[in-house]
Amino acid sequence: MKKNYDAVVIGGGHAGNEAALALARTGNKTLLITLHKESISFLACNPSIGGTAKGHLVCEIDALGGEMGVQADKNTLQLRMLNNGKGPAVHSLRAQIDKVAYHKSMQEVLENQENLDILVDEASDILTENGKITGVKTSSGNEIQTKIAVITTGVYLNSRTIIGEDIKNEGPAGFKNATHLTSSLERLGFAIRRFKTGTPPRLESSSINYEAFEVQRGDENIQTFSFMTKKQNPNTHVCHLGYTTPETKQIILDNLHLAPMYSGEIKGVGPRYCPSIETKIVRFSDKERHQIFLEPETRENSEIYLQGMSTSMPRDIQHKMVESIHGLENAEIKKYAYAIEYDCIDPLELFASLESKKIDGLFFAGQINGTSGYEEAAAQGLIAGINANLKLKGRDPLILKRNEAYIGVLIDDLTTKGTLEPYRMMTSRAEHRLVLRQDNADQRLTQIGYDVGLVTEERLKKFKRKMRDIQKLTELCETTIIKPSIELNTYLASVGQTPLASPCPLSNLIKRPNVGLSDLNNHIKSFKGFGKAVVSQVEIQIKYAGYLMRQNELIERTLKLEEKTIPKDIDYLGMHGLRLEAREKLDFMRPLTVGAASRISGVSPADITILLMHLS
Amino acid sequence: MEQVKNMETIVALSTPAAAGAISIVRMSGKNAVQIADKLFVSVKGKKPSEFIPRMLELGTFNTGSFKEHCMCVRFNAPFSYTGENVVEFQLHGGMKITEGVIAACIKAGARMASAGEFTKRAFLNGKMSLASAEGMMDMINAESEAEIRAGYNLLQGELSKLAKTAQDELTDLLSEIEVSFDYPEETIEYVTKNTVKTRLMALYEKINATLQTANTGKLLKNGVGILILGKPNAGKSSLLNALLSFERAIVTDIAGTTRDTIEDTFVIDGTKFNVIDTAGIRDTDDIVEKIGVDKAKSLISGADLVIYVKDGSTPDSAEDKQIQNLLLNKKHIVAINKSDLMGHYDPKENEIVISAKNNVGIQELKNKIYQISTDGYAVSSNIIITNERHKDALSRAAESIMTAITNMEMSLDLISIDLKLAYSALGEITGNTTGEDIIDAIFSKFCLGK
Repeated sequence: MKKNYDAVVIGGGHAGNEAALALARTGNKTLLITLHKESISFLACNPSIGGTAKGHLVCEIDALGGEMGVQADKNTLQLRMLNNGKGPAVHSLRAQIDKVAYHKSMQEVLENQENLDILVDEASDILTENGKITGVKTSSGNEIQTKIAVITTGVYLNSRTIIGEDIKNEGPAGFKNATHLTSSLERLGFAIRRFKTGTPPRLESSSINYEAFEVQRGDENIQTFSFMTKKQNPNTHVCHLGYTTPETKQIILDNLHLAPMYSGEIKGVGPRYCPSIETKIVRFSDKERHQIFLEPETRENSEIYLQGMSTSMPRDIQHKMVESIHGLENAEIKKYAYAIEYDCIDPLELFASLESKKIDGLFFAGQINGTSGYEEAAAQGLIAGINANLKLKGRDPLILKRNEAYIGVLIDDLTTKGTLEPYRMMTSRAEHRLVLRQDNADQRLTQIGYDVGLVTEERLKKFKRKMRDIQKLTELCETTIIKPSIELNTYLASVGQTPLASPCPLSNLIKRPNVGLSDLNNHIKSFKGFGKAVVSQVEIQIKYAGYLMRQNELIERTLKLEEKTIPKDIDYLGMHGLRLEAREKLDFMRPLTVGAASRISGVSPADITILLMHLS
Repeated sequence: MEQVKNMETIVALSTPAAAGAISIVRMSGKNAVQIADKLFVSVKGKKPSEFIPRMLELGTFNTGSFKEHCMCVRFNAPFSYTGENVVEFQLHGGMKITEGVIAACIKAGARMASAGEFTKRAFLNGKMSLASAEGMMDMINAESEAEIRAGYNLLQGELSKLAKTAQDELTDLLSEIEVSFDYPEETIEYVTKNTVKTRLMALYEKINATLQTANTGKLLKNGVGILILGKPNAGKSSLLNALLSFERAIVTDIAGTTRDTIEDTFVIDGTKFNVIDTAGIRDTDDIVEKIGVDKAKSLISGADLVIYVKDGSTPDSAEDKQIQNLLLNKKHIVAINKSDLMGHYDPKENEIVISAKNNVGIQELKNKIYQISTDGYAVSSNIIITNERHKDALSRAAESIMTAITNMEMSLDLISIDLKLAYSALGEITGNTTGEDIIDAIFSKFCLGK
């Protein structure tokens, strides 16, 4: 380890690793400080990556040249496409991940990365001079000079785990936590908030009676997270689906006074979308049963993740709760469920680049910004890393727009609206969902990834080839005239369509519901030599052209506000006509565009009208 | 765009510019109080800046040329109508007094307020919503009672309320649709396309019903355009005079006297009617007359209602046939004139027998005009859209909902695009366009957790 680095990343979780790799890969001498090597890219909660909207984030991380998608594909136990029966915009990849293999594999990537050193230590102090980063101090006395610090402490900052009355000052899964950095951040003027999350018990696989559960299998031959993955990993594992019983409900209700969530012991704010089982039972008391899933954690041991049973009940109650479920009567608990509280900051203190407004060169990413989820963390880590590099190179930051990426939605939401609970990405947060598909993440972001120096020449070449093929096939579809034939009409009838009466362009046929381009090709054989991804891309673009056009019109309209920039030194407090609340919010947030201003809560459309008057 | 900063002080008469017992002059802006201090002193010897806010004080206003014994009240920003410092003077009625007071204020540094400027400032200062401000402006500019009623309702937020209800229904529906995308593996009953369709149909009907009143709203705001047509000397000008109740057009016995159009306004039951009299339609070589005739033809398409005046004392001429042809697809009333010169006649449904000259049948005709032009819609109905912006937003919402209904064979995530468009169109009325409440609805309605 040297004493002088271009950038220091604090925390080796999903956010920190992407940030460190992005910085090192763009030629910066980078130091990653982690509390322990064992917790590098540790999947502390569910052994899965992706899911609704999160799958989109991983594909975008990949298209920008991040690492998560590559590693997820490599360590997949089972891959599924959620929402497959629905429209292409909401298709979402979800993979069961071998959490041990994922951690090892990511650690290897980090250790082999040129320009990147790893230091096992605890960052204790951020050193600044005149509002600028000058260095980072560690608890073992190291002092590192740097212009950039990226803070990605996840759930480790002053964390404490809670199982009934058993409360420990520690990180997830018994890992040591970090206790020094909070006061350093407070000294720098950051307000510290307390959020909460939790995790369910892990069970011994051999003690489970799987007969009582419904099997859930993976999908074959579907898209992978990474554009560079040549072949989908075989599905080697299955998941199982079961339900809680009336008995489970009774046990929880009888012991509610022991639940720290209700005794007042837990003060942190928990997420609404990932509630503990006791919260679900209290809030939705009319529901007799709740779904649970059994998910394999790794090939290396026989632990099973009991999804849906997150709790902070005492251990003896956890036993009763688990045993009340059909098939888990004799289940052995390998690790108890726990709630975890941790320190985080208010993301409203950040620019959309993820650099803090207060301290020059200080970036924040991941759960410390009030988000939840590995994917949300990795996405922020990547952007923080990219922007830290751009800052070092004297270039403008990369700010993805809401119509460019889910990552853009995520960061814009965080930095303009803030969040009162751990923020989770959802497809319903993306107003331009139809253009932000998993299947076109490469088209949206590969060039950008290349411009910021993370996409390799190899990937760019492969991407350009794909784009040429898409163009060729699109032209082919528009120019090929299909004549009615018995074979074609038999196919059309089989998908519930009326027969073709007179010749028409191939593209017209594709627009019919249920008619697939590749199916069609089996019957008319008018094109060959195009890959599956290309065929499905052309099909989507032709089939949904009308909706895509409408979505794009809407985007154009909103972009007008996005393009109206606001001078940095504008005086909101003295702006006549603005309501007091709007003045204060705008003055605190200092949005860069009118579009961003319009999304700040507490700023009304009338306030925007007034702001526009002042700008004109 | 004018600068909102450092608002100039404006002054104007705030009560109707007509003879009344009391007139109120309002002054608003940065220097309102300083200006008032120069002009008014209370019987206790206090200046307006020394008054307790919102307490009436009796005193003397010195205009320089005369002294007015009157009341004065001060409102401090932001607790005033405009949100600025405001001083109001309650004066004795009479234009001379108010003019003198306003002139004195202007001399002391205020400027004359333009129409609706107080309300505009109230809006800019966040004292009222855009919809309320627009309602207020409509009231200020209203020329007829019905228009004031419509303006008042808008002010009361009737339209906002409807838009809010419609938005709530969309929020509810969208949350049920969205939850199936974000939480596809939950044990909840996902909404079916049939349910979505049924609920959208109901919502469409509701918005559309309101939209139907939009046309009535427009009539209220701009007045109903009435065109009087008829061959020369059928009695058009006499009818106009009867409707306006005073001699407006020159009435002669010579055909073609009325060479240009004549426009004026009358009111029935609080609704304003703009009436246009035209040259008689007939083929003629007279150039001036020809221009009048061509204009009449083009005016037919622009009018809301045509009154075709027919001379009941003579048989239909070729000109009458020509006019009847022109009116085939136009909302019209046939006024059969000169009843005094006619025998007994049984009028058909859209006919009324009158004698314009003798004022016979005019009230019946007015009733008919009112009934046909408002098309059966109760003018006092709660929601009448008088504002084009609201009408436009509502139409777009209705259109998007209809697109969603007709494309129901597409997947629900595509349907949701049109529903969100409808949602944001309604938001232009309610002011809520963020969509954050859809996400809140998802969490409050469904038990989720993965």
